Amino acid sequence: MKRPKAIILRGTATNCDIETFNSFRYVGAEPELVHINQLLAGEKEVLDYDIMAFPGGFSYGDDISAGKIYAVKMARLAGDFGKFIKGRRPVIGICNGFQILVKTGFLPANRADAQVSTLYTNDCGHFIAKWAKLKVNRRSPCIFTKGLPGEIELPIAHGEGKFIVEDKEELAAITGGELHALTYADNPNGSMLDIAGICSPSGTCFGLMPHPERNFFSWQNPGRPEADRGAEAAGFQFFKNAVDYVR
Amino acid sequence: MNDTLEKFNSLKSGQLEALDRAAGWSLNAAELAEVQRQFRRIGRRPTRGELETIAQTWSEHCKHKTFSGPVAYRAGRRVKKYKNLFKETIVKATKTLNRSWCLSVFKDNAGIVEFGKGGKWGLAFKAETHNHPCAVEPYGGAETGVGGVIRDILGVGLGAKPVLNTDTFCFGRLDRKYRLPKNALGPERIMRGVVEGVRDYGNRIGIPTAAGGIYFDDGYLLNPLVYVGCAGLIPADKIEKKVVPGDLIVSIGGRTGRDGIHGATFSSTNIDEETTSSAVQIGHAVNEKKTLDVLMRARDLGLYNAVTDCGAGGFSSAIGELGSETGAHVRLEKALLKDTRIEPWEIWVSESQERMILSVPKGKLKKLAAILDAENCEYCVLGEFPGDGRLLVTHGDEKVVDLPMAFLHGGVPNFEKPAVKRVVKVSARPPAPPEDPGKALEALLAHPNVCSRHSVITQYDHEVQGGTVGKPLQGRYGDGPGDAAVIWPQAATLDLRDYAGFAVGHGFAPAVGRIDPYQMALHSIDEAVRNLLCAGADVSRVAILDNFCAASPRDPRVMGDLVQAAEGCLAAALAYGAPFISGKDSFYNQSKDADGKEYPIPLSLLISATAPVEDVRRALTINFKEAGNPVYVAGVARRGMGGSVYNELSDTANNAVARLDMKAAVKLYAAVAGAMRAGCVAAAHDVSQGGLAVTLAEMAFSGGLGAELDLVPAAREKGLTVTELLFGEGPARLVLEIAKDRETEFLKYVSGLPVAEIGYVKEEPELSVSYGGGQLFSACIGRLKACWKKELI
Amino acid sequence: MIIEIRTKEKYAKNEKEGFIARMAHAGLKVKAARLSRLYRVEADFSRPEFDRLGADLLTDPITETYSLSRPRPGLKGWRVEVWLKDSVTDVVGESVKGAIADVLGKEPRIVRFGRAYYVACESELKLKRAVAKTLVNETVNKFGTEKI
Repeated sequence: MKRPKAIILRGTATNCDIETFNSFRYVGAEPELVHINQLLAGEKEVLDYDIMAFPGGFSYGDDISAGKIYAVKMARLAGDFGKFIKGRRPVIGICNGFQILVKTGFLPANRADAQVSTLYTNDCGHFIAKWAKLKVNRRSPCIFTKGLPGEIELPIAHGEGKFIVEDKEELAAITGGELHALTYADNPNGSMLDIAGICSPSGTCFGLMPHPERNFFSWQNPGRPEADRGAEAAGFQFFKNAVDYVR
Repeated sequence: MNDTLEKFNSLKSGQLEALDRAAGWSLNAAELAEVQRQFRRIGRRPTRGELETIAQTWSEHCKHKTFSGPVAYRAGRRVKKYKNLFKETIVKATKTLNRSWCLSVFKDNAGIVEFGKGGKWGLAFKAETHNHPCAVEPYGGAETGVGGVIRDILGVGLGAKPVLNTDTFCFGRLDRKYRLPKNALGPERIMRGVVEGVRDYGNRIGIPTAAGGIYFDDGYLLNPLVYVGCAGLIPADKIEKKVVPGDLIVSIGGRTGRDGIHGATFSSTNIDEETTSSAVQIGHAVNEKKTLDVLMRARDLGLYNAVTDCGAGGFSSAIGELGSETGAHVRLEKALLKDTRIEPWEIWVSESQERMILSVPKGKLKKLAAILDAENCEYCVLGEFPGDGRLLVTHGDEKVVDLPMAFLHGGVPNFEKPAVKRVVKVSARPPAPPEDPGKALEALLAHPNVCSRHSVITQYDHEVQGGTVGKPLQGRYGDGPGDAAVIWPQAATLDLRDYAGFAVGHGFAPAVGRIDPYQMALHSIDEAVRNLLCAGADVSRVAILDNFCAASPRDPRVMGDLVQAAEGCLAAALAYGAPFISGKDSFYNQSKDADGKEYPIPLSLLISATAPVEDVRRALTINFKEAGNPVYVAGVARRGMGGSVYNELSDTANNAVARLDMKAAVKLYAAVAGAMRAGCVAAAHDVSQGGLAVTLAEMAFSGGLGAELDLVPAAREKGLTVTELLFGEGPARLVLEIAKDRETEFLKYVSGLPVAEIGYVKEEPELSVSYGGGQLFSACIGRLKACWKKELI
Repeated sequence: MIIEIRTKEKYAKNEKEGFIARMAHAGLKVKAARLSRLYRVEADFSRPEFDRLGADLLTDPITETYSLSRPRPGLKGWRVEVWLKDSVTDVVGESVKGAIADVLGKEPRIVRFGRAYYVACESELKLKRAVAKTLVNETVNKFGTEKI
């Protein structure tokens, strides 16, 4: 069977690149770690890949605000990224990756590719890492959450995860299009409408604050009696779906 | 000062000491005299750079003169002499045990043991302290502490990939009012700064902070302790490093600046003496992450022959250490600087953070440079390792240092320190019982040394790298107190079908040490091993680190405590078959408060232990899992309330320390481990601070299940009271929840051992504990949890 | 040039409350407060270039606003400005320096990061004490207050 090529984008202090790489490899993709500098230097081209992932981390220290400097670096290549996304190739941004997609304006999708939302400092004022219960929006076109049960658990780990959209029309586009694929059962950061993850109208570009790669196997959290004792856990499905979609 | 330096060889001892103070070297009179003698012999005066180099190399921080020196220990009329206390206790244990799975001990930046199957990997582990900087600037001090120990792991062998950070803190009590000296920071301020520093550095660099502890005691008011640890994976064929003559000296990572002058000597003095701001720095995690990324790639491509970190002493120690056989020629004008206003000797000894030194074959520099550029990591070529055994440091035409390497690494004068056994009055009378054991349990759960650490733990990204199987917060609601971290290093092995992991646990018992330092060492090692056992680790293969922090070694009683604890370390390591693989010590943790009262810290020995978890899918957690499962208590409860949290809350007038029977403990743990491997055990939790009652409460509320228990069958020493059984902190005990359909099998494993069924887990959220006919207490687990779940920060 | 970034009033509740609680803990009753981030950029850039940095790089367009001069404080009291001492490495400043080069194609000489607090409280002396007690560490920081 075809092994789709997945580009795992990294830069300075992209910290979750390797576990994201491992996850994609496990579900049958052929992942490759590519530094943004390699794209800027023209050594690699995003359009040579089938799947794109922006892993979690603290790119460039998250100085200024989370994901901002990485987004600035991407600006010169906005055309290629735009083509990739509008061409409906699967794109996933996890945590810092979601922050990058929001700050580049690729999510929520809008005509101008301008930043129309933000992920702001958590209401508690600082970084927080814990497991969160999430509701899966089964009416969502999101390709990554297909086949998941109505409620799952994933760890969150972020200081800036409060999702805010100011414009009423933009917000209506999200709710109307069922683009809010994941919501928190118990909002940990103050996000509007408890939003934890949103996708593009086509469902192929998806950003989420929680970390599916950290609940990929059930033994990554052995303390819960209700945990399924089988090998793969909820997070696995996100990656599997991307590969299945390409195939 | 230059005038004085000109006349160095003819200075009198008083003048030498004045010079030492002015320059901030922290050399003592004998050391200064030795330096003078050496330069008289050479027939010239030393340069400032040479004196700085010697001060750094000979500092307590780098040489560990106290612990590695001769000691005369007096206990009553008996006197025991040590030539080298460290070698005759800690190192002796490791040598005697001679375990084949110890791959590198005491010689590199960290100890290394075998990891996983097939001999492919080693696990490097190291812990150190960063106490003095954290007292002065908690945030920066903690950050640079974390950064420093990570660099130890990056600089061990040819570089290990960090997969776990640990941290253990000791602060003054937050709930008391103190009169502080001017410029001293209060414990709350220190704690906040330290937690934020660990958080911001660890999170940014992407290493999970997943094990450790926080301990409060008045003794740490002016001298907080900040222990930082790091574990990493290294390919077994990358453990040896060797500088080849002709190699280039390449510095990568951060730039060199005036920040960080005299850090090494700073950490060997009392902090109530004058401190300068240059000894305190802010960390730069992102620079260190770049360095990490570069090193891992360059290591796998074989682009360098040796590496070490720039820690205390900066270039002078790192290059001095790498070039100790080959010599080194360093051209300081090549260094990348933060600031041009810096003297050549300052460049040489500056401890600016986030720098690593590589020994690079000339032919491989280009490839290395390409990787450095690709990761935006700065570097400079400082010179080469010539092979003539000479240390030559120049800046343009100026000679900063020109000495044979042998000069630096030999000849530190060391002299015998007196040590004496403290006399402690011990009362073993039966402890006064509590009026209401249920109320006593609630008070214990709310005690600062027992209550929940969630408000600190959740600020750390303890699950980055996707391998934190055994979590610091675990159980049904993700908020119960885990005993040990279990790490599945998928981000280093890149193999999701390799289930090998390792556990890391700690033992720490300064309150016991106040009464009996020897038993403190035993208890601490036992607690660390027991924590590993509770996580399902293989306790027949434990490796440990010792980190001693003490007050001034000029006080013979402080030295006496140290001797006893070191002897305890030797005895326990041998009994548990657990070799020390690395360690560190920190002295002079002592200061005066506003009223001139001395605040020496109690002798503080942190034991960090690691053991393999053969298959992480079988790692255990502490929470009760299923109603109807039987509950067992393993181990014999021993008499004595000494060092217990209970005694702090209401003095029982019994301060005897429970004796540890190490042989019995080892036998018990081996049997329990067998039952765990067979899958009979559903949950395990050790009995530690707060005693058995606290252990049971934590297992219950972490699982959201109650229990119906009767303590009569629990094994105990003759004459033990119910108070000691419930709230005593005697070692070598744990509580087990057994899968009900596996109970018969379980009993075969533990037959003939002190393991007794005390009841069963039940659905009703209520912990009922009785003794024979009488109920001791019955408490709603929600209420118990509410007492325990305090916001520390 | 100092570029000052502020959270829009409607999103500033949490940071204000956090600050007020922290000062209360240090013994100062604060009636009202506003917080800012400061970037001191030393460079020969034109005004439109500084504007671009403010708008496109340093500000979150949804939740924040920027100004190249002092914004209106919006309250009566004191303005506290906190910086790292010049001898202390400024990690944020360094990384912003690199990001400015990415945006404008040229690097400034120096970038330093600081914070400003607009505080309504009873006295400057008490404010200074509370700041020293909880906000800054004079080993690494420098700070000043002025009446507004």
